[in-house]
Amino acid sequence: MTRQVAQKLGQALLVLLAAFTVAFVLLQALPGDAVLIKFLGSEMGLTAEQIAELRIAYGADAPVWEQYLHTLGNFLRGDFGYSIRSGVPVAQLLAENLPSTLWLALLALTAACLLALVLALLSQLEGFGWVRGLARSMPSLFVAVPVFWLGIMLIQVFSFQLGLVSVIAPEPWEELVLPVATLAVPISAPMAQVLIRNIDAVFGEPFVAVARAKGARHQWVLWRHVFRNALPATLTMAGVLFGELLGGAVVTETVFGLGGLGGMTQQAVANQDVAVLQAIVVLSAFAFVAISLLIDLLMPLLDPRLALRPAGAS
Amino acid sequence: MSLSRRSLFAAPALLPALAASRGASAQAAPQRGGTLIYLEQQTYTNLYPPAAGHYPAGGVINQITDKLTYQNPQTLEIEPWIAESWTINADATEYVFRLRRGVTFSDGTALDAAAVAKNYDTYGRGNRELRHAVSEVITNYERSEVIDPLTVRFVFRAPSPGFLQGTSVIGSGLVSPATLALPFDQMGDATKIIGSGPFVVARQVLGRELVLNARRDYAWGPAKHPHQGRALLDSIRIIVNGEDSVRVGALLSNQAQIARQIPAFDENRIQGRGFQLFAPPTRGVNNSITFRPDNPMVADIRVRRALLHGTNAQEVVDTLFSPNYPRATSVIASTAQGYVDLSDRLTFDAALAARLLDEAGWARGANGQRAKDGQELALAAYESPNYARSKDTMQLVAQQWARLGVKLSVMAGDLGSRTVDSLDPLKTPLSPAMVGRADPDVIRSNFYPTTRNMLLQTGGVSRRVQSFSDPALNAQLDAIASEPDQAKRLLLVGEVQRHLIDQAYVIPLFEEPQVFAASPRLRGMGFEAVGRPFFYAAWLAAR
Repeated sequence: MTRQVAQKLGQALLVLLAAFTVAFVLLQALPGDAVLIKFLGSEMGLTAEQIAELRIAYGADAPVWEQYLHTLGNFLRGDFGYSIRSGVPVAQLLAENLPSTLWLALLALTAACLLALVLALLSQLEGFGWVRGLARSMPSLFVAVPVFWLGIMLIQVFSFQLGLVSVIAPEPWEELVLPVATLAVPISAPMAQVLIRNIDAVFGEPFVAVARAKGARHQWVLWRHVFRNALPATLTMAGVLFGELLGGAVVTETVFGLGGLGGMTQQAVANQDVAVLQAIVVLSAFAFVAISLLIDLLMPLLDPRLALRPAGAS
Repeated sequence: MSLSRRSLFAAPALLPALAASRGASAQAAPQRGGTLIYLEQQTYTNLYPPAAGHYPAGGVINQITDKLTYQNPQTLEIEPWIAESWTINADATEYVFRLRRGVTFSDGTALDAAAVAKNYDTYGRGNRELRHAVSEVITNYERSEVIDPLTVRFVFRAPSPGFLQGTSVIGSGLVSPATLALPFDQMGDATKIIGSGPFVVARQVLGRELVLNARRDYAWGPAKHPHQGRALLDSIRIIVNGEDSVRVGALLSNQAQIARQIPAFDENRIQGRGFQLFAPPTRGVNNSITFRPDNPMVADIRVRRALLHGTNAQEVVDTLFSPNYPRATSVIASTAQGYVDLSDRLTFDAALAARLLDEAGWARGANGQRAKDGQELALAAYESPNYARSKDTMQLVAQQWARLGVKLSVMAGDLGSRTVDSLDPLKTPLSPAMVGRADPDVIRSNFYPTTRNMLLQTGGVSRRVQSFSDPALNAQLDAIASEPDQAKRLLLVGEVQRHLIDQAYVIPLFEEPQVFAASPRLRGMGFEAVGRPFFYAAWLAAR
């Protein structure tokens, strides 16, 4: 067991180093660099000599390998450097943006799970054929709704027309209501789809027929047997979606004026703010590695069969 | 205010009285207190004053710093502020400023001659170690001398007639010596920017919100400003929201009191609801398209003139903008100093354009495209996200040119590619341009090779320019920078405008304002000469 964990940790470190290196190389390959963009692109009206001087001061023209080692060394010491665009330490940017992103992602994922669960249950409702049909067509609709449009509509109706929540200077409790709703709808769709399909599939398995033959009622079979077996794939899905939510909520963050990793990443990409991007890439890699590790550990609890096999085999 | 229907009918004499009382309340005594919510489209980034020209940063710096002088936004006269008085020698190489007594930065340090000298030494010469860049508005700076605690002298290597106006701009905001000891890379943290202005930074959530509180002991507003003493508002919350429809909707539903960057097509709706619209001019180089004549396609003046006359600026304004965006009548705005009206040289004349292109040898092919020696007349330009509706503007111009048989591709691209390609005349034969500054120097800094170099002449940052240089233009620009006599300077500015249009280097489109929408409750709102908000005398009337 200890050896397995050590192996996994070693893999994780390799993934992190690879992510760091690939990001560094790709960023170097782009045209222009942060110093040029900040001092020329932002139209400060500097002369050629002044820009050349600043480039020297930033070490922007040093050999690539030297810059790489320098940055890597700083990272290992926990120094993420400064954002040239924003003029603040990268650590400070992360500290101010990460919590709101985490909260938003966590709440949106929870809401999406509940929504997916409700849809999946409705899709198995006895009688009411039209409700089942409706529940099964909802995920396609949810996926098709553009997040941008949904966010604006929710704001227009609930904030500007009805005045129920404030978007501009919200109280802490109301701040995340609409953004969570906006994100939960599209996120719930793939989960609901997977869950419904798996429930259907499990219902077709022989052990269900056996249970039914023993006289078990539909509800009992659904909760006791089918659900437990349909859940693991959905959990994996939720893990991946959570990772995507951490950096992929740009549209929602922009529409609602929330700070967050998504907008921070977008700005850093646009401005080739290398220090920020390096930190984000390493952080994202770390998040994905940690989440998949967590899912791996959780799986055996849901599906005892997995506990018997060595991790990684399927 | 509720009047029953009966009393309205019964007492018609009341109506004029009512109107009068409403008129009076509009001019009622300003009320102190309250919090104003100001919606910004973007967050500020670096707040080192010479780098804080962009509106999101300028809107912060203009509240938290004072300047040596105040440029009256109506008259453009330079008036006393932190400097009570000043003298300038005949050739504008020495400036002596006498400072106001008792001014302090919000960290308690005195704003005295030593502090002013420290500020200008940094802005005038830069600081390599701390990566502070030189300010664009200060040229030929040599050194400062502290004569006594309230008197400072600045010495220049060569005449610097633009310096006095330069002391009034955002980029010359005075900050505490402690702030100037910070490296450039830490100046994006507003809480570390210590000024002497009417507001101080109270709280910041990076990228989202900045809270400014009024400084209770502030007693050194611009000397001739109608308001004196501390600011009227207690605090300002600057909240960032990048979505236009959300800013406008939030304002109209009273969740905020003022918003910047209002789309032209929303203006009618806002005014229709009884809200205010402010459109202060930016008084600099108009929103234009500039050519890079180093590119062989546009090296021929006939081609440039053809495109100038083939561009229908009136259609751009009518289609995309509002009356707040007047059609350009010269290279610089009609509100800029030294402006000359050149509208008779900027006519839209498609027939003339076609004739010029024929003369230049670009004949229409079977597909309607003009070509010469097998090469199509196809040009490219990047949109500029910082200018109002830049993409739409360029695309409309592209449609107008398509009718002439000229192809214009409008590129979006990332900032890195845009920055690099914009230095290469072969990749960008033309470029959108616009810059705000209320001094004749603006035209020089925009076109001079070693500064913004909009035409991409040799001698600038770019190493891709082969040979294009216009010595006659540069001589005129040099003269503007060093002519101490203001009247002569303004004449030179006129000559430069004529030269730029006669050579068809520039296609002026419209005068770009900064458009703000505000609640009817907001009174006393001010804007500096280039359209950044100044909340010093602003106040909120009761509902």
